[in-house]
Amino acid sequence: MKTITLRVSRFDPAMDTEPHIEEYAVRVNEGARVLHALHAIRDGHDPALAYRYCCGSGQCGSCAVRVDGEPVLACMEEARDGMTVEPLELPVLKDLMVDLEPVIAKIARICPAPDAALPEQEEIEAIKPLRDCIECFCCVSACPALQVTEFAGPTVIRQEMRLALDPRDSGDRITDAIEKGLFYCTTCKRCTEVCPKNIDIPGKAIERLRELANRRGLTLPRHQEVARLIEETGRSVERTQPTFLEQVPEVIEPDGPVRGEVGFFVGCMFNGRVPQTALDAMEVMKRNGIRVIVPHDQVCCGSPLIRTGQTAGVPDLKQKNIEAFTRRGITTVMTICAGCGATLKNDYDTPFAVKDVTEILTEYGIEPPAKLDVRATYHDPCHLLRGQGIRDQPRALLCEGVREFVEMPSQCCGAGGGVRSGVPEEAKALGAKRDEAVKATGADVVVTVCPFCEFHIADCTDVPVKNLVTVLLEGYRKKDAEREGSA
Amino acid sequence: MVLYNAPTNKMHVDEIVDAHVLVVGSGGAGVRAAIEASRYGGVVMVSKTIAGKGGCTTMAEGGYNAVLRDRDSVDVHREDTLKGGAYLNDPALVDALVTEAPERMADLVRWGAVFDVTDECQVAQRPFGGQRFPRTCYAGDRTGHEMIMTLLDRLDATDTHLYQEVSVIDLVKDENGAVAGAIALDRDGEIVLFRADATVLATGGGTQVYDISTNSAAGTGDGFAMGYRAGAELIDMEMVQFHPTGAVYPYDARGRLVTEAVRGEGGILVNARRERFMKRYDPDRMELSTRDVVARAIATEVLEGRGTSRGGVYLDVTHLSAETIESRLPVMLEQFLAFGVDIRREPMEVAPTAHHIMGGLRITPECRTTLPGLFACGEVAGGVHGANRLGGNALAETQVFGKRAGEFAGKAPARSGRLDEGTIDERLRMLEGFFEGAANPADVRKDLKLTMWGQAGIFRNAPDLRTALGHVRRLADQRLCAASTANLLECCTVRNMCTTASLIVRCALLRPENRGAHVRLDAEVATEPATSPFGHTHVSLAREGIERREVPA
Repeated sequence: MKTITLRVSRFDPAMDTEPHIEEYAVRVNEGARVLHALHAIRDGHDPALAYRYCCGSGQCGSCAVRVDGEPVLACMEEARDGMTVEPLELPVLKDLMVDLEPVIAKIARICPAPDAALPEQEEIEAIKPLRDCIECFCCVSACPALQVTEFAGPTVIRQEMRLALDPRDSGDRITDAIEKGLFYCTTCKRCTEVCPKNIDIPGKAIERLRELANRRGLTLPRHQEVARLIEETGRSVERTQPTFLEQVPEVIEPDGPVRGEVGFFVGCMFNGRVPQTALDAMEVMKRNGIRVIVPHDQVCCGSPLIRTGQTAGVPDLKQKNIEAFTRRGITTVMTICAGCGATLKNDYDTPFAVKDVTEILTEYGIEPPAKLDVRATYHDPCHLLRGQGIRDQPRALLCEGVREFVEMPSQCCGAGGGVRSGVPEEAKALGAKRDEAVKATGADVVVTVCPFCEFHIADCTDVPVKNLVTVLLEGYRKKDAEREGSA
Repeated sequence: MVLYNAPTNKMHVDEIVDAHVLVVGSGGAGVRAAIEASRYGGVVMVSKTIAGKGGCTTMAEGGYNAVLRDRDSVDVHREDTLKGGAYLNDPALVDALVTEAPERMADLVRWGAVFDVTDECQVAQRPFGGQRFPRTCYAGDRTGHEMIMTLLDRLDATDTHLYQEVSVIDLVKDENGAVAGAIALDRDGEIVLFRADATVLATGGGTQVYDISTNSAAGTGDGFAMGYRAGAELIDMEMVQFHPTGAVYPYDARGRLVTEAVRGEGGILVNARRERFMKRYDPDRMELSTRDVVARAIATEVLEGRGTSRGGVYLDVTHLSAETIESRLPVMLEQFLAFGVDIRREPMEVAPTAHHIMGGLRITPECRTTLPGLFACGEVAGGVHGANRLGGNALAETQVFGKRAGEFAGKAPARSGRLDEGTIDERLRMLEGFFEGAANPADVRKDLKLTMWGQAGIFRNAPDLRTALGHVRRLADQRLCAASTANLLECCTVRNMCTTASLIVRCALLRPENRGAHVRLDAEVATEPATSPFGHTHVSLAREGIERREVPA
């Protein structure tokens, strides 16, 4: 047995106007779960504590709560000393109990056709990953789109795809899904991150349904424009200025001895819209002894098409890109766009390794820059944090480059999944939330490593937004200036 | 500590709901009954949890037994079930089970269930203990979850009115002695009276009365207790199935079910000396012997000092490929990983855990109990499984008898008698009494569970059982205390647990033989299951006893 202290959100609608936190010290067994700590409060301190539970083995989905902000199943999550337990972010009935009936009612029911036959093995295998849902609603609690739109929620869309895959179902799942907010999803993968069953709702439901919608001509007009542009130019961004590829040679040699060599996948945003940041990245590579090979025949990675379900042209793009790098014998390809990186890693089957710039710089180690005299915060790009599992490297690099680093709660900025172009008001509302979070940190600058996030957050806040490589380059320039000054 | 404020008002009925059929319980049997009953008139289903989350169907992992292949036959399924049940089963109920399980499976598939299928697009089947043919249909190891999701989809297409997080605390009768509905508490402790022409009890089981149990928190035996108090007869309540393989640690997760599918897929049992001990207990069937045999084998290994330091044995699947484990046993993999054990690389530690109550309300094949107006189906009913249930027969039972209960309840005539106001007032006074009580229900619950595990568990004898009965009765007499109106339910639940426990112990004392799951170390008569002179034990407000039967020559 051991004693732990936990803080629990309490709310009785008959007495309270808003929830408050109470602290309890309880005795629990080694290995006790959050649920057992709640039982200990009920049995030893306050029998009126309201919370749900049932199976105790992660199968019924009754007991989801937030522990230190993260939605979890209370019966599976180990109880920690000092933890704070709060209800899911849904209307609270009492203490940790939330009102689930409205969201359950949004989950579609199968409408079997009278002559329906048993699905075939292949169909069953496709449905199964979407069938594991235990309706705990962790994803609904965590989804950023739900904070600012009428999005019905990740698991609601999951069910639409489960039904769309079932030959027995006679419903119109595409229309249903669109009505329930199919195009509101930013594909930030926060739902997958919190799902106790690890269901990849963006990849296995959202993008697949958008594909089906596309076949019915229901893709959003702005997304269709992007697809046309890619078809005509190989790029998702219009040329309005000299592009990155037009400004650099095929091989960029480092300043000093060669410590390594990477191929560089630039991506449409860095190539066409913010080429200066990509040029900054090249300077950082040169400074750190890494030779960069830039195949000029590379094209769009296809991410804007995959996220929006317009996948017809994707195989061609994949083939062109893979050939561009393999023809030059490149074994490691570096990305500096989180979206391109996640796409090459997750949607491609590449014969070469793909690494984000922050992984490359961390592996080789960098020359320390002079620290910029700023307080900086870091915005996690969804496609880097969850798309590629990269959390620590950018933080460590940033700490080398600035006087002070301050954390900011991670949340999608609203730019991804075609939302910035397709549902601009949602992107703006999520961007405004980022602005609030940035302001709360008191930071002088927001640093990120994704051009979409960078571009979008800059639109939504008056605090300067910079790419990590630019911060590092400025640090090197400051260092050089200081040396010259002292010389 | 929150001080409780005694309400100044007397308890009163806050809401009255009328229905043709009232279904109590939202597991596999209850939902199936409601679906069927809705063909005949207005149905109200009352669920003490959010529908689909309570009960044990949603937790059932391994499968559903049904004869689907030409090489199999309902006769073999019948024989397997009777033999597994130590010939204590009611043959008419077994007939219904094995004959109709395939049809009810077809219903589920037609309604959208996603069962695993073979290359030939037939529902896939795996071997389960005590069966001569692999006839257990499955959806990975989340078979029950698949069923309940499908059933709720279907239920939604009916006009059934669903009351969620409303808990029935007692049945009510009319002046003629027929069951006429039920009285319930909602989430806040408000009282709802349901009046119905027919009432279906589908409240599931009650092994939460044991310290170590696979049941969900809802498995508190409410239906056994309510049926008993209303005057119904229950049979074979001593027949408690201890599942051989429950988790051993961490402490708070002990008893959590480790599905029989682990053994069905080839898992082997070894003791701490790495001996495959089942060869000493059932060399033919080994790990896939019946549950009573395997549970006693494991308990014996542990009692005789060949168990692990935590009091279990090893269940090993490391010889299976990682892919097999990942695709066939994903829930097991996930659950053990959460507790730090990767079953692809290391064995699980397991020990027996109270799993299923074979006994229950005596029913006819039409699911009629001994009380007019009251039907029962699923685990709350007795007789289908005899002295030991085969894995995979419970899910089939929920569908076969859920459908039957719904049909015959639906066909019940309109009730004419006046409600017995006296019993309702009595219940209200009981609830008021909980505000004056002194005993903490949590303490009583804990004491009860330890008593049952210690003195009425796998191995039994008369002195222990009598001690247990005395203690359970003392616990039942404690004046439970409700800290708020929302806590009234907890008092009612603990009261039900005490009643259920006493029924188990009383029946255990009534059966002097070893039979199936019931082991009396002090048994003076040695009987063979097929020729035992003993029939059902029975217990009701009016009488108790054990039936004698004609011994086949």
